[in-house]
Amino acid sequence: MSYKPQLTGSWWLKHRFFKAYMLREATVIPLAFLLCSLLAGAFSLQDPERFQHWQAFMSNPLVILVHTLALTTSLYHAATFFVLFPRVMPIRVGNYQLPARYLVLAQWGAVWLVVALFIWLFAFGGQS
Amino acid sequence: MQVHTFDVVVVGGGGAGLRAAIAAAETGGNAVGLVSKVYPMRSHTVAAEGGAAAVTRGDDSLQSHFDDTVAGGDWLAEQGVVDYFVRHAHAELVQMERWGCPWSRQASGDVQVRRFGGMKTERTWFAADKTGFHMLHTLYQTSLKYPQIQRFDEYFVLDLLVEDNQACGVIALEISSGELHLLRAKSVIMATGGAGRLFRFNTNGGIVTGDGMAIAYRRGVALRDMEFVQYHPTGLPGSGILITEASRGEGGVLTNKDGYRYLQDYGLGPETPLGEPQNKYMELGPRDKLSQAFWHEQQAGRTGKHGDSDVVYLDLRHLGEAYLQERLPFICELAKAYVNVDPAKSPIPIRPAVHYTMGGIETNADCETSIRGLFAAGECASVGLHGANRLGSNSLTELLVFGHLAGKKAMQRALGDSPCKDGAESIRQLGSQWQERLESMMRGGEPGRPRWPELKAELLKVMEEGCGIYRDEAGLTQALQSIRGLRERYERVQLGDQSQIYNTDLLHCLELGCSLDVAEATCLAALQRRESRGAHQRLDDSCQQRNDQQYLKHSQVFYQGAAPARLEWQDVDTHLSAPGERHYGSKGSGLKGSGAEGSDGGQHA
Amino acid sequence: MRSIQVLRYLPEESPQPFLQSFQVPVTDSTSVLDALNYIKESLDPTLSFRWSCRMAICGSCGVMVNGIPKLGCKDFLRNYPNDLIIEPLAHLPVERDLVVNMDSFLRHLEAVKPYLIEGKNAADSSQPNRQTPAQMARYQQFANCINCGLCYAACPQFGLNPEFTGPAAIALAHRYNLDSRDSGKAQRMAPLNSKNGVWSCTFVGFCSEVCPKGVDPAAAVNQGKVESAKSMLIQLFSGRAIGGAGQ
Ligand SMILES: Cc1cc2nc3c(=O)[nH]c(=O)nc-3n(C[C@H](O)[C@H](O)[C@H](O)COP(=O)(O)OP(=O)(O)OC[C@H]3O[C@@H](n4cnc5c(N)ncnc54)[C@H](O)[C@@H]3O)c2cc1C
Ligand code: SF4
Ligand code: FES
Repeated sequence: MSYKPQLTGSWWLKHRFFKAYMLREATVIPLAFLLCSLLAGAFSLQDPERFQHWQAFMSNPLVILVHTLALTTSLYHAATFFVLFPRVMPIRVGNYQLPARYLVLAQWGAVWLVVALFIWLFAFGGQS
Repeated sequence: MQVHTFDVVVVGGGGAGLRAAIAAAETGGNAVGLVSKVYPMRSHTVAAEGGAAAVTRGDDSLQSHFDDTVAGGDWLAEQGVVDYFVRHAHAELVQMERWGCPWSRQASGDVQVRRFGGMKTERTWFAADKTGFHMLHTLYQTSLKYPQIQRFDEYFVLDLLVEDNQACGVIALEISSGELHLLRAKSVIMATGGAGRLFRFNTNGGIVTGDGMAIAYRRGVALRDMEFVQYHPTGLPGSGILITEASRGEGGVLTNKDGYRYLQDYGLGPETPLGEPQNKYMELGPRDKLSQAFWHEQQAGRTGKHGDSDVVYLDLRHLGEAYLQERLPFICELAKAYVNVDPAKSPIPIRPAVHYTMGGIETNADCETSIRGLFAAGECASVGLHGANRLGSNSLTELLVFGHLAGKKAMQRALGDSPCKDGAESIRQLGSQWQERLESMMRGGEPGRPRWPELKAELLKVMEEGCGIYRDEAGLTQALQSIRGLRERYERVQLGDQSQIYNTDLLHCLELGCSLDVAEATCLAALQRRESRGAHQRLDDSCQQRNDQQYLKHSQVFYQGAAPARLEWQDVDTHLSAPGERHYGSKGSGLKGSGAEGSDGGQHA
Repeated sequence: MRSIQVLRYLPEESPQPFLQSFQVPVTDSTSVLDALNYIKESLDPTLSFRWSCRMAICGSCGVMVNGIPKLGCKDFLRNYPNDLIIEPLAHLPVERDLVVNMDSFLRHLEAVKPYLIEGKNAADSSQPNRQTPAQMARYQQFANCINCGLCYAACPQFGLNPEFTGPAAIALAHRYNLDSRDSGKAQRMAPLNSKNGVWSCTFVGFCSEVCPKGVDPAAAVNQGKVESAKSMLIQLFSGRAIGGAGQ
């Protein structure tokens, strides 16, 4: 005699927490697009004509827009991930539990380190 | 009516009931029924904060725990029972540890003990400030290991099946369907908790309505020492929610509205320095003395106001935020939520609230009642441990020590005794009797029949006015009369809900019926005890002192149906320690070596 | 006085739940539970709901308040100046009014063997184990669950798949797995590794958001994923079937 309301497809619209979650999950879409583009680029390397097509495609403003979107959403995803990480992998040093915000900061530090490395490699060709 | 058959049926899924069910399962047999009107982990044991006592440290002794308990109970405890208790306490707490209870620890990994009011030495084990919560969940989870234990969650027990003065089972209402069930068993253990909800300001949960006491009482078992109702000095105003005594053990101090530590004016001084609490002095005096001191301050107009309650203040500020979060996190949470106070920043307003019923279903030292095969343990029972006043942290241990004993004895009885008669006829009778009773409550639409909320409101008022921290002849006579009137009106009570499924209106109404019977016993015993002892304090001229000549006796109240209840007196077992005086504060010390808390004339075997 | 709405369900009268409005008195400290009790005692005796401790420790009184799972006794009317709608906990079958069926919740709890399983060479049982405060700190937060079920009402994965073991049960399993006195992890990993175990979770994280006791079940579930991955790898290399350990 009990009843149980069924979850409808729009369940995630009911609360901002769920919307944020869906947004986090949706960041995968532009990222997937970027990956496909890169993959296409890799294939087109064998054929100069194709490579030109690809370059043209890549400089299409719409494509650039989607790729910028991919960058920002990935940063957003990273941000949510970095906050979750210390809860999934709490780190203890002896009796001392490392506070979560240090771990979050450390992860961002690592990101900037990698970015800096790339800039150094590409912009300065590894020379300084 | 469905009939189920067990070796032992346990009524109550709190600390005592779960411990008893596990002990019964471990003793043998193959069927233990565990009935509770709420899921076991909702039982009010969950709310206990402070801790559980057992002699632990090298500088402590069983004798000292015994002396504290007997003196704390103003010599009305059964001394053989206290002796059994202190001897078995430690092993029970160790057993809990082995079952996973997260007791707070010292840096070495050994169990930590804390100070507690009325205990001379640190001997209270605790699990942060959620001791009862952790004990209850540990017991509930451990009970899942035993396939012999079959639970009946959300079944409300109505009555006992008794044949030839032998317990043969219980009849229970399945709350989800409204159906009656009969659980047959060769022994039955009552573990239904206290009756704090007889009073308006109390620290108890809504389910603590004295059901089991009333059920056994109606079948002829005496309710013993019911006049002893403990007030806790530190409840939150309004709700009555408890602020644990551990907050004073950790160094919290009580002040009146002028910021003065008034306890030194009531024989509990001299004032102990801030941050250096001392056992049995000031804030660590026993509960009854502290609650009584509040009453005097209130009379003298030195209490503050919170909403419409008179209050004094519990000041924890000097302990600092970090320490409070480590040791008293739950207190911080409660104070913030329910009175909007951050204990690290301001004192918490508090007032006394009814906390514990020392009396209950009379049992012998084996937890068995005057009905063969009917046992009782925990707060609903009067095995004789607490006498006239319970010491904080003795009762959680009691649940374990006597829950264990009751479970074991009940199973032994069930395995040894010949089974009850087939009893088909009496089962049918009991079933139809309750069916009729419930139907008559449900039958609606008749004018002039009372509903339970109005009767309950009156009960609370009567008990508060006539049977509070201080009592007198006139007030008690009036209270007793009012309660008899309420009982009469209850006979014609009518429900506002006629349904079968989760009819909580019916449950509250049944609970009120139990509370009314228990209230009559409480008021009768309080009226007849014309002395002041422990938690029972009288203001009438000739009753302000303890009177061992006449009243070194247990009260026993017997149910008489619709007629007024009857009272008898029973001797107290004092064979180990003769009555002395209770002293706290500086008067309590200076008697080094005697082992008693100032038991002037105390002889110790 | 102010008005609040309650989702009623009276199965003996009608198969349809319906909203009902009530006028209740309010002060600064009126909790949702106080309001419900006022309705029951003064306005409508047929309203059914569970409660007991009224101090946020027994776990009886979970309800949805404006769509969010809350303990009725620890949520105050002062927090809702506008509309206030009280409904039964989501994702569980409703038996009547605000009373939900907790059977599946308890079944999931029981399935993870939530009790200490001592090893064969456990020490002499008349003495307590030692456990340092640091060892205790590893699991203590997960031992604070009051079984209120709010996290199940917050979890869309449980809403979609009631066989999902769910946040509180996994947190409890994790609590014992992390306990230095316990040796039962292998037995508990089997249900956690299974398809209705930790891997059903997509780290929505709302369970931890609504938990009234700071248990952070989402952390437990996702730490459980790390454990589960480890235990599956170990099984893979030791050549045993996945999910079959400890049976
Ligand atoms: C706020 C608070 C703090 C406390 N702190 C401490 C402390 O620090 N130290 C200490 O030693 N003591 C403390 N106490 C006292 C101690 O907690 C209680 O005495 C003890 O928990 C009672 O346990 P119990 O098992 O007897 O009953 P309960 O835990 O109350 O359980 C009663 C059981 O009986 C069942 N029941 C009742 N009636 C029926 C019925 N009609 N049908 C079916 N089932 C029924 C209920 O469902 C429940 O499962 C405290 C008490 C309170 C209220
Ligand atoms: S984890 Fe939190 S929300 Fe879930 S049942 Fe436990 S206490 Fe409630
Ligand atoms: S009534 Fe116990 S948690 Fe709310």
